[in-house]
Amino acid sequence: MEFLTGRQEMPLMEKLGILANSAKYDVACTSSGVDRKGNGVDMGNCVAAGICHSFSSDGRCISLLKILLTNECIYDCKYCLNRCSNDVPRATFTPDEICRLTVEFYRRNYIEGLFLSSGILNNPTFTMELIFRTIWLLRNQYRFNGYVHVKAIPGADPEVIRRTGFLVDRMSVNLELPTAEGLRTLAPNKHRKSILTPMRQIQNGITENRNELVLYRNAPTFVGGGQATQMIIGATPENDYQILNVAESLYQKFDLKRVFYSAFVNVTGDKQLPALPGGPPLLREHRLYQADWLLRFYGFKAEELLDEKRPFFNVMLDPKEDWAVRHLEQFPVEINKAPMERLLRIPGVGVKSARRIVAARRSANLTFADLKKIGVVLKRALYFITCSGRMMYPVKLEEDYIVRNLTEEQERIRFGSDGMSYRQMSLFDVGSFEQPVTAADRIQAAVGQL
Amino acid sequence: MTVYRCEDSLESIFTAIYLAYEEKRDHMDTYISLTDEPILFAEDVYVKPDQEKMNKVMRSLYRIFGEQDYMSLCMALASEDEGKAQAVYRTVVDGLFAGRRAGHLFDNLANDHVHRAFAIARVVGREIGHLREFVRFQELDNGVLYARIDPKNNVTAFLMPHFSDRLPQENFMIRDGQRGLFAIHPAGKQWYLFYAGEQETEPALRISEEEQEYQELFRYFCHKIAIEERRNLKLQQNMLPLRFRKNMTEFRDNK
Repeated sequence: MEFLTGRQEMPLMEKLGILANSAKYDVACTSSGVDRKGNGVDMGNCVAAGICHSFSSDGRCISLLKILLTNECIYDCKYCLNRCSNDVPRATFTPDEICRLTVEFYRRNYIEGLFLSSGILNNPTFTMELIFRTIWLLRNQYRFNGYVHVKAIPGADPEVIRRTGFLVDRMSVNLELPTAEGLRTLAPNKHRKSILTPMRQIQNGITENRNELVLYRNAPTFVGGGQATQMIIGATPENDYQILNVAESLYQKFDLKRVFYSAFVNVTGDKQLPALPGGPPLLREHRLYQADWLLRFYGFKAEELLDEKRPFFNVMLDPKEDWAVRHLEQFPVEINKAPMERLLRIPGVGVKSARRIVAARRSANLTFADLKKIGVVLKRALYFITCSGRMMYPVKLEEDYIVRNLTEEQERIRFGSDGMSYRQMSLFDVGSFEQPVTAADRIQAAVGQL
Repeated sequence: MTVYRCEDSLESIFTAIYLAYEEKRDHMDTYISLTDEPILFAEDVYVKPDQEKMNKVMRSLYRIFGEQDYMSLCMALASEDEGKAQAVYRTVVDGLFAGRRAGHLFDNLANDHVHRAFAIARVVGREIGHLREFVRFQELDNGVLYARIDPKNNVTAFLMPHFSDRLPQENFMIRDGQRGLFAIHPAGKQWYLFYAGEQETEPALRISEEEQEYQELFRYFCHKIAIEERRNLKLQQNMLPLRFRKNMTEFRDNK
């Protein structure tokens, strides 16, 4: 008779496959936010901008060794591949295996560090302790000085979370679903409160630590890269306005570094989940990220972008264009005079180009040619700006006109490339006109038979 | 009109800039050329590279414009672009004339030369960034980490500070296959560059026993981490251009 001992002897390759496969739905793979020079002895440093080392075939970056400690789980969240009622192969890494993989991959410049999450083994505190022990080993025995991102397990003993916080660069608690209601239906074992508690704890820890660092320069850093979270988009019926409001309050009240959005992929086929025949809602996810950037770097507020009456983003226009065509009274903006905040609100002008405009106009009056050099996307910006009082082309400041022009280009690319078009069909579009005239046709035409 | 004829090296180009100021040339009517292409009605001056003059120029550029802009100028000069010397020269002239402070050298993007130098430096900077991501080391059987790169621009020297900070206790080397250039970092010591000549063929590599295993593990990991429902090869190629892939573990065919 065979016993379960086989599990311990599972080859590393197979374990890595199973545990990477279970971790792949976690979005965060950033290695940013910490600038730490090497200490000349131990391996590793961190670069503030983060470094992506590779890109997988879905176009997402591979920056960290993103794995689960174990995919055994006592919870039964309906959307999760690793839910306890799902019949998938299970595996568990030993701390040593994780450390060895991390260090050997890092040496070869495959990765920027480790991203460690886990299914819940026995209970949250036990799992968190396993994570802590692994990271402790990695930092103190393997002397690894690179980037480490771990998940804080909701419901775990705060003391373990605190101790882990001093070893890692970033910590995150997954919000999972945007509203408490959604959580109740799809993740019966998780509660909004137990998710927000560790989030608050980490936030307070970071603030406290910042004050400490001012006083004592050599105090250990607590979660130096800040806190992040993620939520699943499209599994529950929330609208974009709700989601964006949740994100905004997370940024303001919990001081998060990043909120990630994950287009829902139906992996379990549970009957309470939407079927999504058109694939995951990627465009929706994209629009949310665009809006997220507007919140964080462009000084927008959630209620400016969406409201109760229009709770979803425009499919054709990005959120900034959408906002601009609805607020034409604030345009055109004079490039040579407008303050930074107004430059940032022009579609086609990003943070970098706005900064460059402000710097360059000190030395010269800018023209449209100069804007092109600076990197402004004139295709989008030209409807909203003037240079020295002139617009680039004689365009009308009129909502319909601008929307038509902004979307026309996109339409042509999206629908024109494969011969499909939203344009009205004309007589000459009918295929028969394109067939070559044959000799038989000519004779028929000559004798009047056509 | 005066034309300074230089070779393609930092030393030579910075010496030319030094000479242009020392000999009080009219900067609007002076040209630094890296080729021998004749220019009508111009006085040719052949520049003899001078280390001391280079150091003087580099020191003052560093002092006046700050580390970041100084590095951008150096990056621009690592490019393969033929107009780089002229662009950098006129950018420096513009910066000194307008009295720009540290971090503001490239402010005047409306100026064609400044924009040119800025654009060249940006291209090189991007390649450096890419290679910082995509360099893949292989462990040889003597424990040395070896990586080959084939960059468009001469960027090896810009990669080394990053990697020697990151892997201080490793013996590693990066080989620029296009230029026959080796950058070598002995464990715990300062790194250095070494020219091996152009016709050097790829040395037969004996990789260590573990190496094959870790390469396989990483390749498998890259395969497993992708979400099939989100498959998007176009995006992957935007982020990771094909030209880098031939030297990357996860894209190489090891059969």
